[in-house]
Amino acid sequence: MNKLEQEILALLKTNARIASSDIARLVKSDEKAVNKIISKLEKSGIIVKYATIINDEKTPEFKDTVRALIEVQVQPQKNTGFDAIAKRICNYDNVVDHYLISGRYDFLIIVEGSSLQDISQFVSEKLAPIDHVKSTTTHFMMKKYKQDGMIFENTSELSRLAVSA
Amino acid sequence: MRYPFSKKLETIPPSGIRRFFDLVLTSEDVISLGVGEPDFVTPWQIREAAIFALEKGYTSYTSNQGLPELRLAICDYVKERFGVQYHRDHETMVTVGVSEGVDITLRALLNPGDEVILPEPTYVCYDPLVKLAGGRVISVDTSKSGFIPDPKAIEKAITPKTKAIILCSPNNPTGRVIPKSILLKISKLALKHDIWVISDEVYAEILFKGKYTSFAALPHMKERTILLSGLSKAWAMTGWRIGYICAPEEVISRALKIHQYAILCAPIASQMAAIEALRHARKPIKQMAHSYLQRRDLFVDSLNDIGLDTFTPEGAFYCFPSIQKTGLSSEEFAIQLLEKERLAVVPGSVFGKGGEGYIRCCYASEIGELKEALKRFKRFLL
Repeated sequence: MNKLEQEILALLKTNARIASSDIARLVKSDEKAVNKIISKLEKSGIIVKYATIINDEKTPEFKDTVRALIEVQVQPQKNTGFDAIAKRICNYDNVVDHYLISGRYDFLIIVEGSSLQDISQFVSEKLAPIDHVKSTTTHFMMKKYKQDGMIFENTSELSRLAVSA
Repeated sequence: MRYPFSKKLETIPPSGIRRFFDLVLTSEDVISLGVGEPDFVTPWQIREAAIFALEKGYTSYTSNQGLPELRLAICDYVKERFGVQYHRDHETMVTVGVSEGVDITLRALLNPGDEVILPEPTYVCYDPLVKLAGGRVISVDTSKSGFIPDPKAIEKAITPKTKAIILCSPNNPTGRVIPKSILLKISKLALKHDIWVISDEVYAEILFKGKYTSFAALPHMKERTILLSGLSKAWAMTGWRIGYICAPEEVISRALKIHQYAILCAPIASQMAAIEALRHARKPIKQMAHSYLQRRDLFVDSLNDIGLDTFTPEGAFYCFPSIQKTGLSSEEFAIQLLEKERLAVVPGSVFGKGGEGYIRCCYASEIGELKEALKRFKRFLL
């Protein structure tokens, strides 16, 4: 990726709704060129999607949402390694994140559900019975402090001196 | 008591900025481009170093000159970034911001009647501090030479009484950077007429093009330059009040004499934070500087589009649009803009000669806010 592409990507990463005209001014380019680069990044799959970071705790529906982090140990398979098993797991809609990691276990997945029972049911009926899944450890999430670089804590607006030399 | 207060102080008018600040405070919903500091919070690793210092119980005085470890970090940094080697113990001291550095340098140098050449418009503290130190300000208007000091004009201002010249580059309020060729010419004048150069380089890291030339790095200039800088701007540490002076031993020893009686030392937790900043926080300052560059491009181009003629600054986070087309004085412009559009800028006239006809805008604000400010400018100019 060239420098201009990287710069545009960095701006979109912090604000997906920034207007192309603003990007053009910030990177000293023209809007047409910026749009061209963005569609190239979209087509090549570098930009996957424009999502929104939401602080669920502030939504009225939050009390109906439960999130869990699940460690999964699996037996990798000949030829496909972890990938075939991973595919079976991450196809579930309630699996919101899925990573292969090093260490004591293999997959770290984040699952969303409407209640503890909902998630327990998913683990016992869907996840654990998958072939080659050896064990699971479920950690229910209690509070989210930071996501994708955003801190959720209520910080008071710091104000600078309105006029200073 | 016939006259209970300092007569010298009475000759100094109250700061034009202060007056304007009071006006802004009484208005609501104001977007302010009048600020003089970054919009970033100090990088966490630096804040954390100060918290750690407090936890460890570092709450005492330090040596008057500043923690030896910090002075060494300053010397290493100045050597690495600007190629000038200073001695930790004889040629460096830690001050409470650059402002203190300016004050004690001037008090160390000046005798009553000594003249100090001040290219203006420039930062507001030099003029009154020269006067308080007993000196006379010889202002050189840079507005005719694109806000870059003209060596010929400087030479004209030199008299046998000239003691020093004060440079501030990148400049507050204009954002202009004095090119190396001009610095060299000024250095020759300094040599020829045997004058000190007080070089305020606090914005050196916020430079948008090329490599920064410290005045002290020019041939034969280390021995007559008083390099003033600090961590406020580049590291977003305005509230920590850490600056430093790098200068020949005979200057440091004298400035230190004033500092030890008036200040004693810079706060220890701030000094500990500054060590972390200089040693381990170079990446955040680059990122912040890059973000100012992006916003400069957005803001300056947009100002020109809506009809405020603005040259492109090479450093700092200010721009200096001309408002001459409006027929208003810079103060009238700023007051009307505040009253009609609740948008605060600083009238150029407060920055001395050559500032009239311009306003200072700080673009270290969030992009949405800058765009709203541009909208208000546009409406105001209709």
